[in-house]
Order: sequence, then C-alpha cells, then structure tokens
Amino acid sequence: MTHLRCEGITVRFGGVMACDNVSIEVPEGKIVGLIGPNGAGKTTLFNVLSRFQEYESGHITYRDQNVDRKKPHEMIRLGMARTFQNLNLFGEQSTLDNILIGAHRHLGNPLANMFSLPGARRNEAALVDKALAVADMLHLNHQLDKPVKSLSYGWRKRVELARALAADPEMILLDEPVAGCNDEAAAELEEIVRHVNRNLGVTMLLVEHDMSMVMKVCDYIYVINFGANLADGTPAEVQENADVIAAYLGEPTQ
Amino acid sequence: MAESITTTAAPAPSGSRAAVATLKNTFQMQNWVLAGLFFAACFVFPLLPFVEGWMVFQGAFIIIYIMAAQGVSILTGYTGLVTVGHGAFLAIGAYTAALLMKYTGLSVIPGMIAGGLVSAVFGLALGLVFLRLAGAFMAIGTLGFAFFIGAIVNNVPIFEGRTGISLPPNTVFGFEIDDFGFYYVALVTLALTTLFVHSLIRSGVGRAFKALRDSDKAAESSGVNRLLYRTLAFSISAFITGVAGALNGLIVNYISAEVYGDIWYSVDLLVAAVVGGSAMLFGPFLGGFFVAMVPFYLEELADFAFILKGVALIAVLVLAPAGVAEVVARPVRAWRQRKLLEAGESPELADAPGPPTGGGS
Repeated sequence: MTHLRCEGITVRFGGVMACDNVSIEVPEGKIVGLIGPNGAGKTTLFNVLSRFQEYESGHITYRDQNVDRKKPHEMIRLGMARTFQNLNLFGEQSTLDNILIGAHRHLGNPLANMFSLPGARRNEAALVDKALAVADMLHLNHQLDKPVKSLSYGWRKRVELARALAADPEMILLDEPVAGCNDEAAAELEEIVRHVNRNLGVTMLLVEHDMSMVMKVCDYIYVINFGANLADGTPAEVQENADVIAAYLGEPTQ
Repeated sequence: MAESITTTAAPAPSGSRAAVATLKNTFQMQNWVLAGLFFAACFVFPLLPFVEGWMVFQGAFIIIYIMAAQGVSILTGYTGLVTVGHGAFLAIGAYTAALLMKYTGLSVIPGMIAGGLVSAVFGLALGLVFLRLAGAFMAIGTLGFAFFIGAIVNNVPIFEGRTGISLPPNTVFGFEIDDFGFYYVALVTLALTTLFVHSLIRSGVGRAFKALRDSDKAAESSGVNRLLYRTLAFSISAFITGVAGALNGLIVNYISAEVYGDIWYSVDLLVAAVVGGSAMLFGPFLGGFFVAMVPFYLEELADFAFILKGVALIAVLVLAPAGVAEVVARPVRAWRQRKLLEAGESPELADAPGPPTGGGS
C-alpha cells in the first residue's frame, strides 16, 4: 500500500525551477531515500510534502487522502512528522521540553490545559512518560534537563529526532539525519533509524548525503537532479545507473 | 503501525529519575513558599500601624500595574510577540467597566470581568489581523492600535473625551468600599491572575506559546496551530490587562481621554515588562513596582520620570536583555540546574552509552 505519493510537483522560485514535475511514491513501512546533487531540490520537495511550501501544480496524497490544502500543523495529525536539515530546536529550553512539544498532537483541549484541570494534569503526566520513553530509546537520559543549546551537534540531532518520535508518527520525513555527525554518532543514528522502521513500523522518507547510510538502510531510492526525477530503483539499481553516475561525477570526457 | 512508540522502549531507570522528580518538586515547593510569603506580606501591609491611607492607595496602584504587565508578559515574554500598544487594552478594560457602571450600575467585580472580556475580544481580533506580522512589524502594528483606540476615546461622544466620566463610589457585593477595600480586591485579583499565569505557562499551551516564540517552523511541524495559539495568547494577554484597566479606572472613580487617549500607558507597560523581565513569573512584579513608583518619587519632576524610565529601559536592554528578574534569579537557577544534573547522573544510568561527540562539519 502506498503511504505517501506526490505527482507532478512543480515549484518555481522566480525563474528557477526548484521542482520540475517531480513524482515519488513511498510504500507503507519502507524506508525510501531521496538523493541528488546539492541544489537538486530535495529540501524544497521536503517542504512541499510537509506543506511548508506551496506549489504551482501537482498533487499529494497521504494514504489515498488528498492533502494539497493541508497546513503544516495538520500533517502531524495525519501521522506525518519531520525533522529539519539545519536543526530547528528551541535552544533555551531543556531537552525534555523540546521532546514534549513533539507530543503536542496528544495535548487535548487547550482550555482544560490552561487551567490545569485534573484530566489535563493526568494527560500531561502521560505525555512526560512518553517523552521520557523516547529519550530512553535515543539514550538522551543524561541530557534531559540541560538546555538544548548547551548540547553538542550530535546530541541535538537526536533531540530533533526524539521530538519527531514523541508524536507517535506513522511516517517521518528525515532531512539529513546524520549530516555533521562523526562516524560513531552516524552509525548509532543509523541503527536508531533502522530500529524505528523495522520494529515500530514507521515509514520513512530520507534525504541524506551520506551514501553509505542511504545504500544500507533504504529499500528504494529516488534520484532527482535539477528539480526533476532522474532515476529510481533499489540501491543496487541506482548505483549502476549511468545517468546517476553522470549527475554525481559529471559526464565522462570523450 | 506505530500505535505507540513508547511501548517498545527500554524501561525507565527509575532510581535517578525519581531523584530528579523529587528535586523538581522541592524547587516547586520553594517557589510556592516564596509566593505565599509575598502575598501574605501584601495582605498584612495595610494593617501595619505605621501605614497611612495614601500608602494603601499607592499599593493598589502598584498591584494594578503588576497585573497589566503580566498581561504584556504573556505576549512579549512567552509568545515572543512584542507589543507596544497594550495601553489600548488597559483603556478598553477601563472604559468598559466605567460605561457599564455609569449606565447599568454594574459594580466592581462584574465590571472587572466585563472589562477583561471585552478587551479579550479586541485581543482576539487583533491576533487575527496581525497573524502574519513578526518582530518590529508587530510592534508598529500594536502601536498603531493604541493610537486608534486613543483617537476613538478622544472623539467618540459616548467616551466623553477629556471631560471624562465621573463614577459613583465602588461597591462589592452591595457594600461600599474605600481605598482600603479596593486594595484587597486588587490583591485577590492579582493572586488569581498570578495563579492562572503560573498554570498557563507550565501547561502544554504555555509550551506551545514558547515553541512559537523560539521557532515557528518547528512548532508548526510538531502540530502547533499558529493561528489558534497566537490568537489565544493575544486574547489571554488582553483579558488580564483589561481586568487591570477596569481596576485602574474604578479606583479613582473617574476616567478620561486625558490619560487613556495617550500612548503613555502603553510605554509604561512595555517598560514594566522589559525592565522586570517578561519571561519569568515574577518579572512583572519587579517591573510593575518600578513603573508605578518612579513618578511617585519624582512627583515634582514629572518629565524627569520619563527620562528615568527611558534610561532604565535602555540600560536593561543593553546589560540584561532578559530583565532584572532573570539577573536576580540567575544564581538560584544555576544552583538548581547543577543539583538536577547531579541527580540525573546518579549511577543507575551509568550503563547508557557514552555521548556521541558529533560536530564533524
């Protein structure tokens, strides 16, 4: 079954075609990679799919439901969370608070919460438990009460992932989860991504420049270049594809 | 499906986690005790032998300023929306209560609630109109709103312009109250608004406000409805300042466009929020006290009071942008933070893997 599908997405910034008739399809429960050279339009497509970016033409369906008119905050209610390439955390706030905002979807009635009514308090305690459990999974135990801005880059990447997971998503868009991490941290994050997908059944769409990770974890890969679909297939197929090699390494000289 | 991600997670290491929770409870108790002592002192204050009538009157004014600044802090401190026009909500609260009292004979407490509600409706509308504004644009927008309300109360006949509206003596539950009684009405109201703000900022709603303040995008991707929470913040803020406005008008039994038609209240409230520190619960207490007391000590040098407020504003912005409250609280916070980290790193967690060092790029 298809979890997320977009067809013929076109986004133009002035004269630049950021996305030119791009179509991708993410099957339920799979990890799909989205790769392409710098400036290929991967992040723009991510912003389109998470509804931060408007588009000229094309359609997006989430589980056969058209989501062209949805707002960013509505996507998480459907079950889709995302992370940001350059980290988008609440720096002054603690790790725990950063994770808790991810669980906002389960907050319930704002008025009951404002006045700390008994039901809201019980719900809040449940949210904290959920956040703590996610923190356990990502080994963030030691970091819970520290302000996020005091954490190293690798830890902050994890907080970003933890915030997405705290929503109990059914699908996550991961924008370069291991960028800027050293090998050890990247390997751990890779393991976590795999765990979340295989054991919790979360569908993933992954943008990543670390090819060894992409080839290892992805079930299927889309390659885009100059905003347009270039190729797609299993990791092995994509690695063999002449167009892909040309896009990454340039045309062979005659 | 990812019914619940948490069910498959490792069990929580209960020992250190319990220690952290206990510690957090202790800190919270300390805060409650301090707040309790403060309000007890305020309660006893008018009863002290050396306290004269004018001091009680002045005390009520300080309380009203604190409350109004609390309203500002909801927007400026917790939601990150700078408002330079909150005097407008003070005016709306004051005129609502005054007109209702004059034409329908409403007394202080219903007048106060009505003042807050009408102000909240305006706040809601403003929140919707200013949905897309941020930063300096928001400041200019709210300033424009203050001028707009100022022009209305100056020129629309029902508000009686600079002649002003004189009001009958205040009553509460049918009993006439003097300044002494009014002080207690204001104090109880402040206790209630403080409790409410406390509950609000610690709730998931306050968390959503702070998320919008720190990053719109991250908040929205986590499911925070920007339209809903921004208008909610505007309404709550306007409600609290509106209640303070009603008290501000009723305490002197007279309101006029001479004071409410100008933007000085807006400036005062901004100074109170910024100088005190608006992202902490007791910031408005310091700021409100400061703004209410400056003109009092400089009665004969009224213009100098504005200069002093301006200097204080600039000094705080340069030296302690988070406000005086943050400076006062810094050592306590640092100590608490250290305690929390110590508690969080007790041996039960020692088997967790070492931190990834990260930062390769």
